[in-house]
Order: sequence, then C-alpha cells, then structure tokens
Amino acid sequence: MVKKGLLFGIIISIIVVGVILVYFTSSVETANTDVRLHGTISTTMGSPIIGSPSAPITIVEFGDYQCHQCYNWFHNTKPSIFQNYVDIGKVNLVFVDLAFLGRDSPKAAQASYCAEDQGKYWEYHNQLYISQESKIDNGWANSERLKSFAFSLGLDSELFDSCLDSGKYAKRVQTNIAEAKKFGVSGTPTFFIIGPNGQQEKLVGAQPFSVFTQVLDSMI
Amino acid sequence: MTHSLKIVFSNYSYVVLASVIFITMLFGLLVLSEYIFLEPYIIGHISPGMELGFTLIVILTTLSAVVIPMNIYRINILKKSKRKVTGSVFGSFVGSIAGVCSCGPIGFTVFSTFGSVGATGLAFLTNYELPIRIAAIALLAVAYFTTVKSLKIECKII
Repeated sequence: MVKKGLLFGIIISIIVVGVILVYFTSSVETANTDVRLHGTISTTMGSPIIGSPSAPITIVEFGDYQCHQCYNWFHNTKPSIFQNYVDIGKVNLVFVDLAFLGRDSPKAAQASYCAEDQGKYWEYHNQLYISQESKIDNGWANSERLKSFAFSLGLDSELFDSCLDSGKYAKRVQTNIAEAKKFGVSGTPTFFIIGPNGQQEKLVGAQPFSVFTQVLDSMI
Repeated sequence: MTHSLKIVFSNYSYVVLASVIFITMLFGLLVLSEYIFLEPYIIGHISPGMELGFTLIVILTTLSAVVIPMNIYRINILKKSKRKVTGSVFGSFVGSIAGVCSCGPIGFTVFSTFGSVGATGLAFLTNYELPIRIAAIALLAVAYFTTVKSLKIECKII
C-alpha cells in the first residue's frame, strides 16, 4: 500500500515538474518571439530588416539562393533600388526564403541565419548571390562551401559549423516556405511592396528597376 | 527550298496557322522565361546575360511556326505519314519546356504539385536550358530540311 502510494506520488511529481517545464519553456519562446508583420505578411522568421526600420515602404522578397532570376535581380535591379530608395530611408527590405529549387537551397537559407547569429546576415546573403553558379546543386552551395563562405567573411567557424550541422534553423526556413505558400507565391523572386497605408502590390519575377520605380513612387 | 515554302504558304490558312503558332509560342515563352512581364504593367525586359536565351527562343519559335504547318500540309494535302509532324511538334515542345519551369513564375507551383520529382525535373531543365533549346532547334532544322526535300519530291510526282 505504502509502495503504491510512493509510486503514485512519484508519478504525480513527474507530471507536475513536466507541466512546469513545458509552461516555462513555452513562456520563454513566447517572450523571445516578436511577431513582425509587413502588411498581412508575417516576416517574423525572415531576414533582419535592411534599410531604415522606419521607412514608409517595405519590400518583402521571396527568393531562393539557387534561383537565377533572383541572381539577376540582385545584380541588375537591387543596386538601383538601394541607391535611390533604401539608402535614403524611403524603403526597407526583408528577404524571406522560398528555398525549393534544389537540395542545397534549404541548407543555404539555414546558413544565412547561422550568419545572422553572428550579426552578419546581409553580408552572408550577399556572398551567396555573388557566389551563385549557373547550375543548381552542382556543389557551389553544399555544406562545405557554405562553411567556407562563413570563414571568408570572418565568422566564428566553430559556432557557424555547429549551427549549420545541427539544422538549428531548418524549421525557420520551412516556416518561411509555408508563408510563401499562404500568399500564393508561385515562383522566385516574388516581391510584395507594402506602402505606408498598408497597400500591397505584388511583383512576380526579376522585374526591371523602372517597374519598381513606378510602384514605389506611386506609394510615396 | 523557296519553292516548297511557296507551295505551302500560298494557301492562306497555313499562313494563319504559322502566325498563330509563332505569336502564341513566342508570347508564352517570353512570359514564362521572364522577358515579358504582364503585371502590374506590361513590359519587356532582357537582363544582361539573358540575350542568348532570348535569341534561341526567337529561332525556336520561328522554326516551329514554319515546320509544323509544312508537315500538316503534307498530311492534309499529300496524305503522307504523321511521323514527321510528330518529330517537329516534339522538337517544339522540348525546346519550349527547357528553362521555363525553373525559378520562373510557375516554378514553385510545379514543385508543390510534383514534390521531389518536380524539383529534380526543375533542376535538370534549368541546368540544361541552353543545350536543350539548341538540341530542339537542331531537331527542328533537321525536320525542316527533310520536309522540304520530301515536298520537292512528292510535289513533282503529283
């Protein structure tokens, strides 16, 4: 009888401790997760904001590091947008992963968040688009290369490698893909331009600077 | 060569067919390959480095618009086998799908629908976009010359 009582007590104690632990853990997660919305799009799991956080217009880019059209946009259109809008505080930009083009795409996206842990998200993001090669999954974005990019940017290799190998940000990338699906994104790059009054314009593809100018100027 | 073209395209309906093939195929491929954007404004744009892809699309479309009506003419007028038209349609189809499904406007839709098989297919089509288009053009060129040759012979007989 006493043994049964003891066993019952132990089980109850384990359950209570378990409940407390779960509650504590979820409280910590909730406390650390600030919901960030741009228009109706949740960019909480996306990149840090580049440009003035108080800029009236936000460009949300859904992209893949192995996507050629994203590469084209990065090299041909983005510099002009930065020069004319982002650098002078009119626009900011958030990148959200739609990593689907090959087996190395999700890993590359995860690597960018491992770089963010060390405060170098955008440097790493740029490095990926500068280093992109024409063939998908030919090894240019495999784990070894991703680690070498981190090394060349002066990141702490040990920290970066353990972050990448552990798959720490796998879920974050999946969440971003789910967000893209939710908003009907059908290809990369896709842009949502969110204006000061919450108006939202969708641009599909690596469209030229002239199109962005027209949309952005109509919102300012 | 010119004679065969004259024979086929002297019939107005084949000129219409060629025009429809050319316009539809060119427009579709340019949209899917992101040379033309329809929203929010209709605009044409060739990014640096994409000139060769554009040229290949124009060649592929032109050849398709010439070869397919010529083979349909052979079938309709001369009652010949359908083998050659299958070859030319196949060439046009292969050339059309190359590259257009990658990270373009329908890439993620294809991936969502076909899963990992779709992803592997997308990667292949993207990686070998230019060689596939060149091979398709070669196939259409062969189809063109054999059709011209056979029209020459068959029309003489008739």
